[in-house]
Amino acid sequence: MLMLSYLLATGVTSGALYALVALGIVVVYKATEVVNLAHGELFMMGGFLAYTLHVMVKLPYVPSVLLAVAGSFAIGVLTDRVAYRPLMKEGLVSVLLATIGISFILKGMARVLWGGKGDYLAFPPLVSPEPIRVGNVMIMSQQLVVLLAALAVMLVFAAFFKTTRAGKFMQATASNPRAAALVGIHVSRVYMYTFGVGAAVAGASAVLMAPLTLLYPDIGFALFIKGFAAAVLGGLTSVPGAIIGGLLVGVLEQLAAGFIGTTIQDVSAFIVIMFALIFLPTGILGVRGTRKI
Amino acid sequence: MRVIVSHRAFLIVLFAALAVLPVVANQYTLFVGNLMMLYIILALGLNLLVGFAGQLAFANAAMYGIGAYGAALLQVRLGWSYWIAAPCGAVLAMAIGTLLAFPALRLSGIYLALATLAFAQFTQWVLLHWNSVTLGAGGFPVPQPEFSALGMSPDRGIYYVSWIVTVVLLAFAWRVVRSRVGRAFVAMRDREMAAQALGVDLLRYKAMAFALSGFYAGTAGALYPAVLAYVSPEGFDLFQMVLHKAMIVVGGMGSIAGSVIGASLLVYLLEVLRQFKATQEIAFGALLLTFVLFQPRGLVEFLKRYAPGWAEPLHYAADRESLSDITAAEELVAGSRGGAGR
Repeated sequence: MLMLSYLLATGVTSGALYALVALGIVVVYKATEVVNLAHGELFMMGGFLAYTLHVMVKLPYVPSVLLAVAGSFAIGVLTDRVAYRPLMKEGLVSVLLATIGISFILKGMARVLWGGKGDYLAFPPLVSPEPIRVGNVMIMSQQLVVLLAALAVMLVFAAFFKTTRAGKFMQATASNPRAAALVGIHVSRVYMYTFGVGAAVAGASAVLMAPLTLLYPDIGFALFIKGFAAAVLGGLTSVPGAIIGGLLVGVLEQLAAGFIGTTIQDVSAFIVIMFALIFLPTGILGVRGTRKI
Repeated sequence: MRVIVSHRAFLIVLFAALAVLPVVANQYTLFVGNLMMLYIILALGLNLLVGFAGQLAFANAAMYGIGAYGAALLQVRLGWSYWIAAPCGAVLAMAIGTLLAFPALRLSGIYLALATLAFAQFTQWVLLHWNSVTLGAGGFPVPQPEFSALGMSPDRGIYYVSWIVTVVLLAFAWRVVRSRVGRAFVAMRDREMAAQALGVDLLRYKAMAFALSGFYAGTAGALYPAVLAYVSPEGFDLFQMVLHKAMIVVGGMGSIAGSVIGASLLVYLLEVLRQFKATQEIAFGALLLTFVLFQPRGLVEFLKRYAPGWAEPLHYAADRESLSDITAAEELVAGSRGGAGR
């Protein structure tokens, strides 16, 4: 029972982070019908930027987080400028190939700048590593911080979409780009911000994740696949779906790790993706797609 | 000046050069030549699947690894001869590739891409963690096949085996794309529904494309342990994915000669940068990005323009399905705003 509650607590925490990664994927996909294959590397860059600012330059925590998120936003915008905008007329294959190119460039750059393969950088935790008791469950305080922060990011994100002008532009563009263009929304600029926002969420989740895991140049891909699993499970076009999917993936992989074996954790994403694609192709909250001619 | 180079003459000269290479080359050059042929096979298989049949799949490196591990483990674990283990490795990769096609028949575009990407990661995981079978992360040495009956060293012997296999597979790919099957692939890629209306059995041809590509990657994989005398999971990691993709994009998607050109050039670059993993990643990522942006049809299109004898029919779609039709709408709006001036 104690183990179960421990697994659930860990699962919910990592699940909240997968949900954030999935959120970025879903926002970009909804608007552009493209999954940015460099999304994991954007996440990784966000983490390394925060590390550089906080640990190497010794800036206080909050400004370094904000700067790291701004930096991720900038890289996201750059991705749009370099890979999506020039290629959206060329079709999905070109865009996907271009984002793979970008992901490897970013990964290589991270390796050059922050050390070679096998170099794991530790990010100092925000709070004391002492576990605290909630009822009958022991929770690491950092996990609690992560969970709350992830919730905060989700709320800010929801508020952004519901209340701001830019958020409404994004919703309009995602729902019907042609109509949005006809009422005067500068659609390609909205795409640019969408890529930026997706990347910024990835950057924010990287900063939250860094103290729990470690930072290394290859962290991006594994997280991207888990984020994608969460997004697919949630239906790929649904923001609440992405959050539910993220929590499910997090909890499932912890349960699998606890009851089957820890190494299985790494492939849980693959199993979830295959399961979802074969048995649940529209996801939990997705919309049934129509076939395009 | 316009040079007359026919694509056939180019391929014949290249393979004639590769055939005499062992006479003049040292052991290292021989190894690079052999590696080049392995990657030519990989690029051919991937191009059949992605460039011709239009299935954006990312599991090529996984099939390569399955072929290599299949051939190596059958030798090391069961003591089979290389000559039996290698074809079994290739067929195993083909079988798994075909199985992978079944979800692919329901998926397309982004879902297919990500499902196969996840499969590639899964394969990597199996190679790393199924210690009792795959011997884990460190890899293991594999004995090279003997060629003493022919009076050749193992390196030279396997080089000629690779040469023969590559030529046969090249000729086979050449035949396939000019056959009914190749035309069905191209039709399927350009517009699935139109192809179906013309009587192309999508299920059958997709499975065929995955099987072919799995067989090519598996064959390259089966040659791998004989060439390197060693297998380890690292040889089939994600970097292979960008490498294979860069090869067909640089050479030319939907071109047989392009696969050969892309693979040969990039293997050379790979060897130049061998010491520097980070530089390799940046270089191949940048190559892929640059070609997709500025020369999306690869070097072959360039050759076709400037070398008049280069007459390989290029199977690319005349106009591709764009992701979004908003640009047209935006231009419309921009036009009406500035309309008074014009």
